[in-house]
Amino acid sequence: MSESGRYDAPSANAAATAPGALEYVRASIGYGARTIVRDASFAVEPGEFVGLVGPNGAGKSTLLRAMTGGATVSSGDITFGGASLVRMPERERARIVGVVPQTQLATFSFTARAYVEMGRHAHLGRLATPGAADAAIVDEVMERTDTARLAAEPVDELSGGDLQRLTLAQALAQQPRVLLLDEPTSHLDLNHALQVLELVRSLADGGLTVVGVFHDLGLAARYADRISIVADGGVTPPAPPASALDAQVVSDVFGVRAVVRTDPVTGSVAVTPIVRGADLAPTVTGLRIGLVCGSGTGAGLMRRLALAGHPLYAGALNRGDIDHAVAEAVGAGMAELPAFGEVDDVIAADVRAGYAACACVVVCETPFGSANLPNLQAALDSGRPLVLVGEMDDQRDYAHGRAHALWERALERGAQRVDSEADVPGALGRCSGVEA
Amino acid sequence: MTPAPGRSRTVLVLAGLAVALVLAIIAGVAFGAVPISPGEVVSAIAHALGGGERTLADAVVLDLRLPRVLLAALVGAALALAGVLYQALFRNPLADPYILGVSSGAGLGATVAMMALGTSYMMRAIGVPVGAFVGAGLTMLLVVRLASRRGRLDPTSLLLAGMAVSYILSALTSFLLVLDREQMSSVVFWMMGGLQNRSWEHVASLGVMLAIGSIAPALYHRELDLMLLGDERAGQLGVSVERFKMLALASASLVVAGAVSVSGLIGFIGLMTPHMVRLALGPRHRLLLPASVLAGAIVLVVADLLARVVLAPVEVPVGIVTALAGGPFFLWILLRKERM
Repeated sequence: MSESGRYDAPSANAAATAPGALEYVRASIGYGARTIVRDASFAVEPGEFVGLVGPNGAGKSTLLRAMTGGATVSSGDITFGGASLVRMPERERARIVGVVPQTQLATFSFTARAYVEMGRHAHLGRLATPGAADAAIVDEVMERTDTARLAAEPVDELSGGDLQRLTLAQALAQQPRVLLLDEPTSHLDLNHALQVLELVRSLADGGLTVVGVFHDLGLAARYADRISIVADGGVTPPAPPASALDAQVVSDVFGVRAVVRTDPVTGSVAVTPIVRGADLAPTVTGLRIGLVCGSGTGAGLMRRLALAGHPLYAGALNRGDIDHAVAEAVGAGMAELPAFGEVDDVIAADVRAGYAACACVVVCETPFGSANLPNLQAALDSGRPLVLVGEMDDQRDYAHGRAHALWERALERGAQRVDSEADVPGALGRCSGVEA
Repeated sequence: MTPAPGRSRTVLVLAGLAVALVLAIIAGVAFGAVPISPGEVVSAIAHALGGGERTLADAVVLDLRLPRVLLAALVGAALALAGVLYQALFRNPLADPYILGVSSGAGLGATVAMMALGTSYMMRAIGVPVGAFVGAGLTMLLVVRLASRRGRLDPTSLLLAGMAVSYILSALTSFLLVLDREQMSSVVFWMMGGLQNRSWEHVASLGVMLAIGSIAPALYHRELDLMLLGDERAGQLGVSVERFKMLALASASLVVAGAVSVSGLIGFIGLMTPHMVRLALGPRHRLLLPASVLAGAIVLVVADLLARVVLAPVEVPVGIVTALAGGPFFLWILLRKERM
């Protein structure tokens, strides 16, 4: 590795391992007679960062451990540049593949520096002791993993996070062509987690091939070029995060209803779990509740009401609106509009009918503009009891006083007004005449 | 606490231990039924090396005391070496040849060889160490097998299996001895761990076995460091774990067999010595190995000295001395939950 941050593979290895992909070739992997992953076939290009996600026990770690002999490849192969990593002697393999395991017990009092230096083992001759070149590599990887200041500390007295970064440093000291990360940030605080992933990302950009197991879908989507889903004994071909992860996949694979959208800040796919599918399943017994919401003002209430067993109807919502995604996640009914689309007469009638089928309709603390004002109109026209959350003021009315007018009319017709979302469940009981 | 051992520090530590060993050997030779001054010890050794007239004191030193003391040093070194190897391979600070049952296995093997091969000198000189080696190796395989669950070696199971196997093999040895009453008393005394009446042949036999058994650990000291990170991690960092384990266990069995066939069962040296050295010098085997070997030699020379002088003129088998010191030490580590 040079100062520029480019990742230079050790030249001595270059000939033995011509530039090539890491490839799983119909590999079936398991422990003893038990097969965990069947027929895994996919390739990771040099300089590419592939994330593996999937539920616990699906075999993500197993896929990685197969590469270094921790799990058995019963059929097929795993190759790098065409050479089988499975049958390669350990020493040769350790010059190609570096691993950061999920946990590393430290029951020995090596100093942090001696611990990192162990990564040089596969490069040292039988009688050689680590020399100046090795020392320079150790210094550099410790610098890059922010562990240089720990050099003289005994590793058994360090925190899990420090040890995890030292283990990354140890793996980088191997000067690998392929880096395998098994939940590399599981013991790290937010700052160090991002630091480690930024480092790995920059190494990948410099040519290092990276395969990482992630629990955090958002981190996987943010840092990996492509994502594979490991579930039900198989692996999906790696795909860009935006197509690999959608609400349907998250629901199918993890059993969690989630909002999957593009994070406006990072530009990467962000996954927000809303509710476990299992908690939601037996919950179609309560009163049907309508919501007038938008821009995320109904998200919390929808989640809470869905968990309490209420079927929901959320009116007309635009794609891209967070409330649209949440409504989808919890299975609420709605009239779906394209992004920035507006309600026409047909949809308005539809929405009115939707609200009319509800026991009552909650008007969330949403600002009103021309796009969602028809929802408020439809709720009023449905004739169902209304619960109004918060106060209507100019901050909420972007419809030139029309929202204000509808609000006043609702109050005149006996709508209940509550101060906050927290008061809604109580109000529901009264508005329907039944305990909600 | 354990700074990276610099080259100069390594040399200094090892030189210090070597000097201490020489002093311990001189003291070991000087004390005894006939006291001999340290000057006489040195001059006797000089006479032996440079030729010249031999005095009575020279004869006592060269024919009786020196082989015995050197043998004590070699046995101590061999047991400490085996202890270092077992503790690293099993990542278990309580592992030692005695506790793992390897010593008992070597003892049974040696006893069987003694009884089967008769009294021919050559047969004994070769057969007993070979029998001990076979016994030690088979016992190690058995204990590892018993303590493994689905490829995992549980540290507690390892110790329990070792102790259980050790009892069984010791009982078998006693049973064989009852069958052959003529040999009983001498073998029983040997089994208790004694260094009496040992000759230069014993020194040579153990010296050769220790030298052979030291080759692999000396060459593979970095692998021993890596083994402390766990088998899988060691493999990821480039160690051929299974092959290395077999090599290291064979080396350990060889030196244990050598020690047991000349001195019977001497316990706890392999446990105590590496442990104390690790506490003082850290876990890196480049220093831990040679330092433990030297310290093991010193400890057993001193223990043998005590065995001879505490109840003089009656001699206590040195195995009893080491067990008296080692048992409490074992408990201390157990209670401390010692790390490597």
